[in-house]
Amino acid sequence: MQRTFARPGKWIALAITLLAAALAAGVQDAGAEYGDVVMNTYSTPAGMRPVVFPHWFHRVRFRCKVCHGDLGFKFQAGGNQINMLKIIDGQFCGACHDGGVAWSVENCNLCHSGAPGTPTQVHESTIQKLVAPGQPQAAAGAKK
Amino acid sequence: MRTTIASRVGLAVIALLAGFAASAQEGKQIYEQKCAMCHATGLAGAPRPGNAADWAPRLKAGKAVVYRNAVQGTPRGMPPKGGNADLAESSLRAAVDYMIGGATVVTKPAVPKLPEPPIARAPVPEAAAQKPPAQPPVAPAAPVVAAAAAAPVAVASATRVATASAANAPEPGSGAAESNAFNRLLKPIGRRNLPPAEDGIHDSSVDGTLQLQPPLSAFSSMPRSNAGNRVDWVKALAEKKIAPRWERDKADAAATVMDLNIVREVKGSMPDVVYPHKQHTEWLDCSNCHPAIFAPQKGANQMSMAAILLGQGCGTCHGRVAFPVSECRLCHSKKKDAAASTAASSAGQGK
Repeated sequence: MQRTFARPGKWIALAITLLAAALAAGVQDAGAEYGDVVMNTYSTPAGMRPVVFPHWFHRVRFRCKVCHGDLGFKFQAGGNQINMLKIIDGQFCGACHDGGVAWSVENCNLCHSGAPGTPTQVHESTIQKLVAPGQPQAAAGAKK
Repeated sequence: MRTTIASRVGLAVIALLAGFAASAQEGKQIYEQKCAMCHATGLAGAPRPGNAADWAPRLKAGKAVVYRNAVQGTPRGMPPKGGNADLAESSLRAAVDYMIGGATVVTKPAVPKLPEPPIARAPVPEAAAQKPPAQPPVAPAAPVVAAAAAAPVAVASATRVATASAANAPEPGSGAAESNAFNRLLKPIGRRNLPPAEDGIHDSSVDGTLQLQPPLSAFSSMPRSNAGNRVDWVKALAEKKIAPRWERDKADAAATVMDLNIVREVKGSMPDVVYPHKQHTEWLDCSNCHPAIFAPQKGANQMSMAAILLGQGCGTCHGRVAFPVSECRLCHSKKKDAAASTAASSAGQGK
């Protein structure tokens, strides 16, 4: 990832603009858990409900390193291009959700349980709150 | 003849009001203390007091059902007793009456302009609820409302006369209370850590959603914090309230922990930042942060709060899954040595 902080003024201006936009547009009131990730890169086009990944649930059971280090999940909602083929092949979610460490892929609705059409996002994230509701959250949630 | 009937109706209403005045007052009080948090603004679809459109569909099934839902809660988001388990059912009903009471007044086209005291409004619905469709808008409504006001608040009718001409006067109890609600933009306690079916991003009609663990069942035994999930994850791990695995398939693998604090001197008046490797390496591998997010060299990483807010650097996790930047002092935790910081800033350093 590029670190370009050479012009902090630019960032501050951008942050202030976003904050102002958020205040003007009001705050969303969905009650989902902080850190819940909605993944909808392929689901809706494939006629499935989006996946909701509960970070808190996995964090109770695994350190961050297991998924973000060993399994190669990038710190980026929508940045991992996960699909069912890879999962069945033992990559990403499939490393555990194989009927061994955790329940396996035939339990479609346990993951694909998001409200239809919900865009990819990290729920309750600071950046989501900064961006005015109604704007594509996929971009906001996915941006590093 | 007409006047006698009118006066009898008036008397009857006054008598009714005298009986209900106490519970009406209680209803208002309970509403303001317990219910207004969500209902004043209509948070997550909560029916707002004085809003006929909100209440009409709910009253279709009858008031008894509304009472029951208030006690037992609903899957749409109403917690049982609004989250106040110690509330008596009679008090709850009084609050419901108070909120519905506003609705009936609003349905009448002539009245909303009049700033009517909420106390007077609450008891009216029983009498007025059945009537509104049959009532011609202004004429018959006026004496009833006037009588209603007379009983509990003697001054009210005088006030009404004085303000009746002010067409845009705000309605107390709905408009005024909404805009001045306490902590208007904060998520109220009853709306935190909701079960998946009620959290707004799950599809509650799917069987899978109902099988998922509700967060509160996991969090109840864990130390609390003031932001994010409202769980202090670092403390939970330190106190062994949770035992997250370090290896995917080994329950007993130990983390490789590195205990090294990095102090970052900051500009301005904020305390310096202490970055503890220990708490981070309890959870993460070195390669999670180095070298992609942070160059592993002191002074090599420029940072600003604006960039962190936008998800860069620390903001990769803090503000997404780790505690958000609202918790300033968790990072800015080292009080500056006054003399040293002056010297540092005059030397043009202090990053």
